Amino acid sequence: MNALELNKVHIKRGDIPIVHGVDIVAKPGEISVLLGANGAGKTTILEGTSGVIPIASGDIVLEGAQMCKASAGHRARSGIAHVEQGRTIFAEMSTEDNLRVGLHPESGLEQAYDLFPELKTRANVKSAMLSGGEQQMLVIARALLGKPKVVLIDEMSAGLAPVVVARLMQAVRLLADQGLAVLLVEQFANLALDIGDRAYVLRRGEVVYDGSCEILRNDPAMLHHLYLGDMEKDSA
Amino acid sequence: MNSLLTPAMAGLSAGGAYAILGVCAIFTYRLVAVVNFTGAAVGACGAFIMVALVEMGMPLFPAVVLGIAAGALAALFVGFITTIWFSGANGSVKAAVTAALLVGFIALGLRLTGGQHPKRFPDILQGAWLRLADVQITNASIAAIGLAIVLTIAAEQFLNRTRTGLELRALSERPMAAELLGIRVRLLALIVWAIAGAVTAFALMLIAPLRSPDFASLSLLIVPALAAALIGAFKSFRAALFGGLAIGIIEGLASGLVGLNQYRAAIPFIVILLVLLWSQREARWDESR
Ligand SMILES: Nc1ncnc2c1ncn2[C@@H]1O[C@H](COP(=O)(O)OP(=O)(O)OP(=O)(O)O)[C@@H](O)[C@H]1O
Ligand SMILES: [Mg+2]
Repeated sequence: MNALELNKVHIKRGDIPIVHGVDIVAKPGEISVLLGANGAGKTTILEGTSGVIPIASGDIVLEGAQMCKASAGHRARSGIAHVEQGRTIFAEMSTEDNLRVGLHPESGLEQAYDLFPELKTRANVKSAMLSGGEQQMLVIARALLGKPKVVLIDEMSAGLAPVVVARLMQAVRLLADQGLAVLLVEQFANLALDIGDRAYVLRRGEVVYDGSCEILRNDPAMLHHLYLGDMEKDSA
Repeated sequence: MNSLLTPAMAGLSAGGAYAILGVCAIFTYRLVAVVNFTGAAVGACGAFIMVALVEMGMPLFPAVVLGIAAGALAALFVGFITTIWFSGANGSVKAAVTAALLVGFIALGLRLTGGQHPKRFPDILQGAWLRLADVQITNASIAAIGLAIVLTIAAEQFLNRTRTGLELRALSERPMAAELLGIRVRLLALIVWAIAGAVTAFALMLIAPLRSPDFASLSLLIVPALAAALIGAFKSFRAALFGGLAIGIIEGLASGLVGLNQYRAAIPFIVILLVLLWSQREARWDESR
């Protein structure tokens, strides 16, 4: 069964249609990778899914339950976690207090520290003082402690050093292996394709590829074409 | 000597009230991001309902409890409008909304409570706590100061030590991130409003007998209260506590000095002006975060 299903989802920003009827699924134990150039609508899809913004039409189904009318808070409590673009830490709070905010009664802080031991040594530090990589670990771990069924992760690697990115990718793979469904948005495709199972390529709000990560990984020319298809046409 | 001490002591009870209202103002500002001009008016609603119930023959204790509940309800009304109807609006718009509501509260309150004729407030805590020569400290002023101190400590402890306090801090810092972690954003915001309203209602019941207790002057206690909150930079409960007490004492002293007496109502404005000038210099006043 799918943990999360988006069926024919349309989303507008203001009056402008941005996402035009996408179908996306995320399965327990798998990573669905959502790729696309700047402005393709990746963040918009995640925000529509978690309830940050409303969707214009279509269905959002979490383990069989309709979510598209529910508030963001309700969706979160139902099991949709959203790690937003830009590391939304509570900067005035310590690392540990950040982790406690969404703590599910059945989760414990050790889960976060097992995944990212570096956070433990920084537990009592004001989170604004953490490095970019540590802040990214913090928001991922924080989302995890809410005991979600599916995690939406937006551009976690932006601006981070390659070793740190590799570390994060490895952690996300581990989470999926433990049974979580992951929808991972990345602009830099290769690393995400390495850990992903299923891939979607989004261009101007439409899904132009829906298939295995492996095929894209082994065919860089195809990936390039999918990303830039429009521009090639435009310049021709 | 006593000629200064007596008015200073009288000012202390007013200072306690300013401190309580100032702490409540910071509480609402920090947690639901609204500069609430109705802060004292909602408390006045509660206090006057208590008086009305007592006049109708209800014993004091249940009347006080119902008055506190009424203060909470009045604050919930303001909270509902600012945090639900105007949920998308920025801080200045919300502050303007509460300023408009204050005008409405005062007009309605004066009409319902018989205009500017001071009501007779029952003295909840009668008598003097201490009397030395002709300096006296009333029970009510001790209670006001005590409540101000307890409230300051309680607010700090609540925010720093409880789960709900933690959620409230998260909510005030990043409402959307907090909601995405499953926090019941609206419920918490309304709880904040209700607590502030209940506390203010009780505080006004305590100090109303010490002032000229008509609805408008009680509602306008928000001015010195916001001055106290400003001293705390709308952040520090302790600074607001000391600020409120200091404003009260200065007011009291001014009323004891013949030439200054007429101008004592201007003291909170002078404080606001000075703090604003000072904070401009320190560029503390940016809301850009
Ligand atoms: N608040 C907004 N109001 C109006 N349009 C917006 C808003 N946010 C984004 N857009 C537009 O919606 C489109 C999709 O934006 P979105 O942020 O979803 O893209 P993205 O794929 O996440 O891009 P990036 O890789 O840069 O994060 C863009 O054309 C953008 O200009
Ligand atoms: Mg984006």
